[in-house]
Amino acid sequence: MSETVIIGPRANVKILAERCKGCELCIVSCPSGNLKFSAKLNPAGFHPVEFTYQGTKGTCTGCAICYWVCPDYAIQEIQVRG
Amino acid sequence: MSIQRIYMKGNEALAYGALETGLNAYFAYPITPSSEIPETLAREFGNKKYPQYKFFIQSASELEAISMVIGAASTGSLVMTATSGPGFSLNQEGLSYAACMELPFLIVDICRSGPGLGNIGPEQSDYFQATKGGGHGNYRLFVLAPASVHEMASFPKLGFDLAFKYRNPVLILGDAYTGQLKEDVEFPSWQKPNYDVSSWAVGDASGRGPHILNSMELEYQKHYENMGRIFEKYTMAEEKEVLYEEYLTEDAEVVIVAFGIVSRIARGVVNTLRKKGIRVGLFRPITLWPYPTVALRKLASEGRRFLDVELNAGQMIEDVRLAVGSGVTVDFLGRWGGIVPTEREIEHKVQRLEVVAA
Amino acid sequence: MSQQSVFKVKAGKLQSLTENPTHYCAGCEHGTLTKLIAATLDDLDVREKTVMIDSVGCSVLAYNYLNCDHIVAAHGRAPAVAAGVKRLRPELNVFTVQGDGDALSIGLLETIYAAKRGTPITVFVVNNGIYGMTGGQMAPTTLPGQITTTSPYGRDPALTGTELDASKLIGQIDGAAYVRRASLVVNEIPNPRGKVYTIKNLLDAKKAVKNAFKVQALGGYAFVELLSTCSVNWKMPILEAKRYVNEQVTKRFPLGVYRDTYGVEKT
Repeated sequence: MSETVIIGPRANVKILAERCKGCELCIVSCPSGNLKFSAKLNPAGFHPVEFTYQGTKGTCTGCAICYWVCPDYAIQEIQVRG
Repeated sequence: MSIQRIYMKGNEALAYGALETGLNAYFAYPITPSSEIPETLAREFGNKKYPQYKFFIQSASELEAISMVIGAASTGSLVMTATSGPGFSLNQEGLSYAACMELPFLIVDICRSGPGLGNIGPEQSDYFQATKGGGHGNYRLFVLAPASVHEMASFPKLGFDLAFKYRNPVLILGDAYTGQLKEDVEFPSWQKPNYDVSSWAVGDASGRGPHILNSMELEYQKHYENMGRIFEKYTMAEEKEVLYEEYLTEDAEVVIVAFGIVSRIARGVVNTLRKKGIRVGLFRPITLWPYPTVALRKLASEGRRFLDVELNAGQMIEDVRLAVGSGVTVDFLGRWGGIVPTEREIEHKVQRLEVVAA
Repeated sequence: MSQQSVFKVKAGKLQSLTENPTHYCAGCEHGTLTKLIAATLDDLDVREKTVMIDSVGCSVLAYNYLNCDHIVAAHGRAPAVAAGVKRLRPELNVFTVQGDGDALSIGLLETIYAAKRGTPITVFVVNNGIYGMTGGQMAPTTLPGQITTTSPYGRDPALTGTELDASKLIGQIDGAAYVRRASLVVNEIPNPRGKVYTIKNLLDAKKAVKNAFKVQALGGYAFVELLSTCSVNWKMPILEAKRYVNEQVTKRFPLGVYRDTYGVEKT
């Protein structure tokens, strides 16, 4: 009997990049440093935020701070592994 | 149908007329000579005879009052406010917004002497403000001009019917005289109001999308189209809702054009002069907007001359001249300051006209 | 045997929020408040009985973002319009979102009288000390010395009076049942390894928003003043604007409960 080990995120963050205005609030507020500016531009001309699964200070825990701090609802959904 | 015949003041009759029609709420700031309206409605609040009369409050200013009216009218309720000239000026903000938001309600201006504080005597000097729009932008107010206590009592019903039919504010333009005058008045019992507000009123939104009542439209083309639709309503009203009264005009050589209390004085003038063999008649506009232009033009086309009598320095006369066209003589007798001309003065004026004509 | 991971949505779609992207400037707390209100309307399940009175200013376009009935009031008049709706339809949940100019300058009479009468409505005032939508003019809550387009040399209290402490003023009115000043601005905590940002203020503000609606349901008047930034008109970068509020504005306008007749803060 083999056991599949789940390697991966404890949480998922859905971002709608075209809504992001690059205000940086989620990036500075993320306790595990899992958000950064994308190198690309969105249609509005901003560098939108991008989610990484392995942050500078650890894995995303699904705390949803980014969801609440975003003034624009660019961070649309936080899913946590149940 | 129960008919009561009561001797009462114009302002009181208007208040009771509104209650009998099914008034739901009243918001206003007191101002002479209209204060009997809020006073009556304050007294009658809680009277079980009017179960639909749900709310009364004296607002902190006319600015607050008109915004409260807007909020209440947005729920599809029957709402009214009353004031006089200085308060009517403050109400203009709300009227502009409400016409664009297409809200139905009644506003009453018991016109006093102006401009500024003036005095509490009667004038008809808010005519321009009422009919040409005292608030900003492209809108019209329906304007009803009562000339008797009976009309003060019955115009709320007419006003609410127009307001809900066209989704627009309606103004009852009285004056200090009609407001304070005491006469017999009959109150028929009208049917309960049954206006359909389901397509626009705010309230319980279950089972439908949001209703947004808004006068701002940042997309210019859309605003152009929305307003165009509102203007079509006004055009329809101009065809269908004109009200006026003619008295002995068929064979008249001189027609007095007067509205409100002045028309009552003019009626006496017509009767007196007819006994002297002078063929004079009276044309009384009842709706000042939409103005009875067509009817007046018809009278003019049959070779008459006109005497416009108003309690102001010449306001409705511009609409009279517009209606009758060039080549038709329109004379003017005006009185302001809160003073009302006597029948004698008007008779003399008419007789002098006749002399000139002959 | 393979195990499947099941992801549950912890925070997601809000029924009370529409799909429309907002017009707010980057980092503006109007967006934050809109989201908090939407989340609260969902939480209390009152969306279909809610009427929002929009005001004039940056808050005006909320009818595009909040999924409920709206009436757009004239500048400053929102509490009066709200009163008109609520008095005729007391079962509805009626609230306003106003700026500091709307509520405290042109609308000061309407604000005070709604409180004085204990009108059971909920009033949110977004205080960013400036007139945003019109391009950065002085507001009643602009601090002395603050530079705006109509106080280009700094606000002079000798001429224009001192700043208006809204929560203190409304908190003194007997008719009000709940007066609260909260902050929508991210907190900044200095740390030897670099600044740490938390959302403590935001979570407190979320509670205040919920309390404000609860108080209306209990029959009382609720007033919540929310400190915010306006980085565009303050001419500051976004994070610097947040710092300005945390260091200067909050000192002058302390957060807290200025009135709580029903004791909702304790529950």
